[in-house]
Parts: sequence; C-alpha cells; structure tokens
Amino acid sequence: MTAPVPADGSLGFLDRARALLTEFPVVDGHNDLPWALREHVRYDLDRLDIADDTSAQLHTDLPRLRRGGVGGQFWSVYVRSDMAGDDAVSATLEQIDVVGRLLARYPDDLARALTADDMEAARRQGRIASLMGAEGGHSINNSLATLRALYTLGVRYMTLTHNDNLRWADSATDEPGVGGLSAFGREVVREMNRVGMLVDLSHVAATTMRDALAVTEAPVIFSHSSARAVCDHPRNVPDDVLELLPANGGVAMVTFVPKFILPEAVEWTRRADENMNAHGLHHLATTPEAMKVHETFEAAHPRPVATVATVADHLDHMREAAGVDHIGIGGDFDGTPFTPEGLEDVAGYPNLIAELLARNWSTPDISKLTWQNAVRVLRAAEDASRALKPTRAPSQATIEDLDG
Amino acid sequence: MADLRDDPYARYAAPPAAVGAAPPSRDAPAEDAGSAETVVTAGTGGSTEVVGTAERVRLLLAEHPVLDGHNTLGRLLGHTPPHDLEFGESALDTDLPRLRAGGVGAQFWSLRVPAHEAGHQRAISATLELIDRVRAMIDGCPEGFRPALAPGDLTDARNRGRVASLLGPVAGHALGDSLSVLRAYHALGVRAVTLAGARWADRDGALSRFGQEVVREMNRLGVVVDLSGTREEAMRGAFTVAKAPVLFSHSAARALTDHPANVSDAGLALLGHHHGVCMVSLAPDQTARAGRPPTLRDVADHLDHVREVAGPRCVGLSGGYGATADTPRVRGLEDASCYPLLLAELLERGWTDADIAGLTWGNAARVVRDTEFAARTAQQRRGPSTATVEELDGDQAARQRQNGWPEGSA
Repeated sequence: MTAPVPADGSLGFLDRARALLTEFPVVDGHNDLPWALREHVRYDLDRLDIADDTSAQLHTDLPRLRRGGVGGQFWSVYVRSDMAGDDAVSATLEQIDVVGRLLARYPDDLARALTADDMEAARRQGRIASLMGAEGGHSINNSLATLRALYTLGVRYMTLTHNDNLRWADSATDEPGVGGLSAFGREVVREMNRVGMLVDLSHVAATTMRDALAVTEAPVIFSHSSARAVCDHPRNVPDDVLELLPANGGVAMVTFVPKFILPEAVEWTRRADENMNAHGLHHLATTPEAMKVHETFEAAHPRPVATVATVADHLDHMREAAGVDHIGIGGDFDGTPFTPEGLEDVAGYPNLIAELLARNWSTPDISKLTWQNAVRVLRAAEDASRALKPTRAPSQATIEDLDG
Repeated sequence: MADLRDDPYARYAAPPAAVGAAPPSRDAPAEDAGSAETVVTAGTGGSTEVVGTAERVRLLLAEHPVLDGHNTLGRLLGHTPPHDLEFGESALDTDLPRLRAGGVGAQFWSLRVPAHEAGHQRAISATLELIDRVRAMIDGCPEGFRPALAPGDLTDARNRGRVASLLGPVAGHALGDSLSVLRAYHALGVRAVTLAGARWADRDGALSRFGQEVVREMNRLGVVVDLSGTREEAMRGAFTVAKAPVLFSHSAARALTDHPANVSDAGLALLGHHHGVCMVSLAPDQTARAGRPPTLRDVADHLDHVREVAGPRCVGLSGGYGATADTPRVRGLEDASCYPLLLAELLERGWTDADIAGLTWGNAARVVRDTEFAARTAQQRRGPSTATVEELDGDQAARQRQNGWPEGSA
C-alpha cells in the first residue's frame, strides 16, 4: 500500500506514520506466537527461527515486528479452553517457558518487561518490551495461589475466560452460566487487583464485563476486542461498557480478526460454520476432509475481505465512545487464520496509522493509541496493587468456599 | 561464593580412633575420645578446655547448625487458623523458638503433595499453593527465616542467625511430565525435587528415558535430586545419570527398619561412592524395630548404620517435623527442639566433632553447593531441554495432545 503524497510536498501519511511509530511504537495487546511455536515446531526454536523471515508459516518474526513499528508486545500464553485442571496449568507454564526462551535467545530485540518502567526502558533501548498475558481463567485451575504464581513468573494480564464458560465466569461465546461473575470470580478480580495483574475482559460475556467493572479496583483492559456498535459480534465491546472506561481508566485494544470486525464476514462465517455442521463436522475442524468441505464452500461464496479502513472505523467509534485515552491495539496475530488487507502480518501497523492520519487523527491521539495508554494502564495496575497490598493479605478463598 | 567454613575438617582436627571405633562405655575415663567429657581444642586461641557433652553440642551447633531435610509445615499453613510461628505455637511441633532451641539453621520445606492430587488434576496447583504458603511464611517472619536460593544464602542466613529456607522437595508427580513445569518451579525458588511417585521414575521400577532427562535438566538448573522413596533400579539409574550429588531427603536404613522410604545397604554404598547424602529420617515408622515404639537410641542406631555403610560425609538429618503437636513421635525427639539430645547421644557413641559437623550442616550444604556448581558448568554446555515424555518414552498414557484443532485462539 502506498500512501498518497500531499500536494504541499509534506511527508505522505505512511512516512508520517513510520516517523510517529519511531517515537511512540505500538504496544500490541495480543499475539499468539507462543501457541504457534507449540503447534508448528513443538517449541523447537531452532526449527522456526523468528530472526529470519517466517512469513510462510507465521504472522510474526523479528524483522517484521521492526518494520511494523512494534515496541511492546503482550505475548499470549494461551492454552486451549478444552484443557482443564493441571493440564491447563502445565500447558500455560510451557507457554511461559517458551517466552522466556525467546527472550534469552533474542536479547537484542526482545526485553523482558514486568512493569511500565521496564516498557519505557525498552523503548529507550530500541528493544521490544515483552510482556505476557494469560488467555482464560482455566489457566489457574480455580486456584488463587496459581494466579499468584503466574504473576511471579511474569504474567501481567489474564483474560477471565476464553471461548467457554468457567465455573466462575461467563464467556461471550457460550450460553449464559453464572450470569457474569460468581462470588469466586469477583474474588479472582480482587486478587488480580491486589497482585497487580491487569484484568482482561476480551472474550468474556457483556454480563461478565459489567460485573468485573463493578468490582475492580484497578483499570481493566480488553486485550483484543473491537466495537459491537460497528460490528455486532459477541467478541466486541458494547457501547455501555466502552462508556464505563473513562471512569475506570481502562483501555480497549482494537482487534483485527475479520470475522469479528466486518459484518459481512460475521455473516459469512456463520454460514460457513453451518455448512460444516451440515456436513457433520465441528466448525473449527481442520482435518483434510474438513478443509475440503470448507474450500468448496469458499469457492461458491467468496470470503468478504476486511481492510485497514474496517479497523479504523472501529477505532473512530471507540475513540468516540470511550475517549482517546481509553483505546489501544491488539491485533491477535498468529491467533487467527485470516487478517485484513493491509494488516496481513505484524509489519502492517504503519498502514493502520496512515489511515488514521488520513482521517485527521492528531499526533497526540495516535501516540496515546499506540503507546501511552497501554503503558499508563499497566502503571495504574501497579499503583492499585501498591495501595491494596498493605490493606489485604493474599486471598486464601477457594471456589468451594465462595460458590458452594 | 563457596562457604569454606562449611568444611568441618578445616576447623576440627579429627581425634584419633574416632571413625569406626567401637562406642566406648559410658564409664570410660574422661580423656577418651567420644566419652561424656572430652577435650576440645578451640579454633581461635588454641587453648584447651574441658567441656561437658551438652556444652560440646551447643558449641558445635552454634558453628554447624542443623540443615534439616524435611519439614511438612507448609501443608498445615492456611488449613488451620493462623499460627504464631515467631513466638511459639503449641499446637504444632515446629515454631521458631523450637527451631532455634534445636539448633536448626537451615530447613528444606517439603512441598510434596499427595499422589491422589494428580488423579484429580490438582497436583501442580496444589504444589503452587504450597509454594505460595511457604513463601508467605518465610516473608512473614523476616526475623526468623531467610529465603535460600543459592549456597551462599545458606551461610548468609546462618551468619545472621536466621533459618535458611530452601523450597523443596516438590513431588515428582507434580511435574506434570513437563520440563517447563520443572523450570517454572525453579523460577519460583524450588531447589529440590523428589523423583519417587512420578511415572517416569517407576517404569517397571526403572528410571525411564524421560526420567533421565528430568535428572539432567535438574542438574542443569541446579535443583537437588531427591531419591527418597525411589525404587532400587530407578535409584541406580539416577546415580548413573546425575552429574551432581544426590540427596535422600528423608530416609533411614532399610537394614534396620523395612520401610519403603528407607535405603538399602546397597543403595547406601552407592550413595557413598557418589558422595551424596542420606538425611536420616527421625520419623517413628521409619525407625521402629521389632514392633516396639522407637526411641532416640533407635534413631542413633540408624545414624550409626548409615555412617558405617555410606560414610561419615554422606549422612545428614531429617526431622520430618511440621505436623500437629499430637502426632506420634520417637520418644525423646518430640519436636524440632530435640536435636541437641540426639547429638549428645551420638557424641557418647564416639562420633567425632568433625562427624557431627558434617552430619548437621557440612554434608548437606556440600550437596547444595555442588549442585549449584554443577549447574553453572552444565549451563555453559546446554540450553533448556525441550524433550517431551511422548518423544522419549512414547507413552500412550502420556498427556493427550489432541490434534485437528485450529492453531488460533481468536
């Protein structure tokens, strides 16, 4: 994509975007590289070296992160939500382990960041501040001590659910269960506040979002969610919740997943899933037979394509509804098979920034979107933790105690 | 840094006719080594003074406190109302006043969870909960405990009069068959893992290929290998693979008491050969003989036997305290304050000061130190192991990793 060069001879939008990102690089809220490394090469980093061009297999490698102007990344230590108990915990620890190995392997490019100060230090050094986020409360196996262990090991946010309900929290993509957060779920939020781990409300049901916002004593994030008013999908954030963010101080990080952000893609995905189910297959199956069924469907019904403008539409709305201090970016690269045009991989962020510049977003607004809001929200979580720790001991509550 | 003063032989010249000598009778003349009254050459002035056994024990413990191999207090914390460890807690057999009275200068805090937790998919979380509680206990009593992550921390805590607190051992079945989980435990401060109980430590009684890799990775990280309760063949396997000395964190002599956690004479001989340490358990079920309740003298017999078979540099102490006060105990060894009585008995049986210094502190501290040194060497040769149990053991019963799901998490 080439940016138009204005007639007055000033820099084109894309060049301005790149210049801006040099100063205020992107903090991306969600990238599934760890899981991709698990699936592709069983964590064998010699077999898939992200210092090289990995575009044949991945959305993410170091050269493309650099071209994309990424200066901070929450690496998702996601594990599948059909995992439970110790299996989920050990898989999460394996994900945390591989992030640690990446940091040890690429010290010139990746810097471990545990605090907002670490993020700023990495930016000054020209390295990519690397943080970790757990994706789904199944990773803590109903155990607050396990939550604290994840924090100690460097995890700085936890999405309360993934695609399935937990005993203590409802997911956006499951049937209503406890109707938001259970008593134990609220205790999880309070304990996250106490230790200084950000509460991530992507993936959760709107009821859970509202419960969590009512209980939390620190700002929350949406690590990868867009606006439901622009595209009505349960993975997106409704306006009434976006409007709660200024009081809470939190940040909603727009995601790029086409089937969440483009209404035509939502509809197309629904019909594709129906088609799979009609053939007796799980809608997420990737067996050769399933892929064949899917290819036939796609040949007959071309897939609608999202673009940079689709994402910018969401950001325009989110800025309107939540305010410019409460928005960010969470692409979900390597967590989704399809990506928008212009945002094909992690090198694409400058295209999005150029689009926003073309829509007259100011430089201060963009620097908040890319860098400042994300750093501020982590610092706020640290401040809340510092205030809470003297007043509250580590919670010993169990799900049996609180939820019966 | 190495703690040079840990070497018990540097300060106390071994008295003649000590090791292996027949225990002298209680009525022996005062000048006989090992009798109730003996001559100690003080380290600094070189002056000679006559002191009683109790005073000898006190002096020895002041310099060489007990590095205890096994305390399960973590299991009780959080289950019962908060305990006052700092000023004394009569409901328990362990608190700071009694640890101090017992001359305990370092403690392995056991993090072993019951085997049934694995069946409930809770072994890892339960272990993380124990780590959480024990860390909270240590942090909550900074005047009493100091966390010990490296050998230097042992000495440092001792010099400050704190109980150096080592996290571990963790149960082998709480590793989830994953070296990443082992590394996570290490990152959380764990410094010992018990192999027993894990499937890979009992593959028809032997250490599986994955089990061998676990031992190598423990050596690489600097995690002490604990062989208490390990089957005979698996134990031999561990000796073959291990590049650092191993511990038995809570084992007595199988020749005297037939208990699954006790070590056979063959095992003790191997241990001596590999310079490991058997931390002799004080638990009644591991030291009882001929169906009568065990006494302090039975424990001393076990210590004599282990010293005899494995050698005086391969024996240590493991109280097995950390229970409620009403738990059955060996008579005379009811709580953590009783070590001086046991050491007095050993002195009367002819153990030399050097032997005692090794028993209480030096031997186990050497294992911790050598483990750390071996890790530093290993880390220059190899990176973290990514081996999996499926890969090495081809175990169908291993964790199911289903395929055919999308890689995404959107």
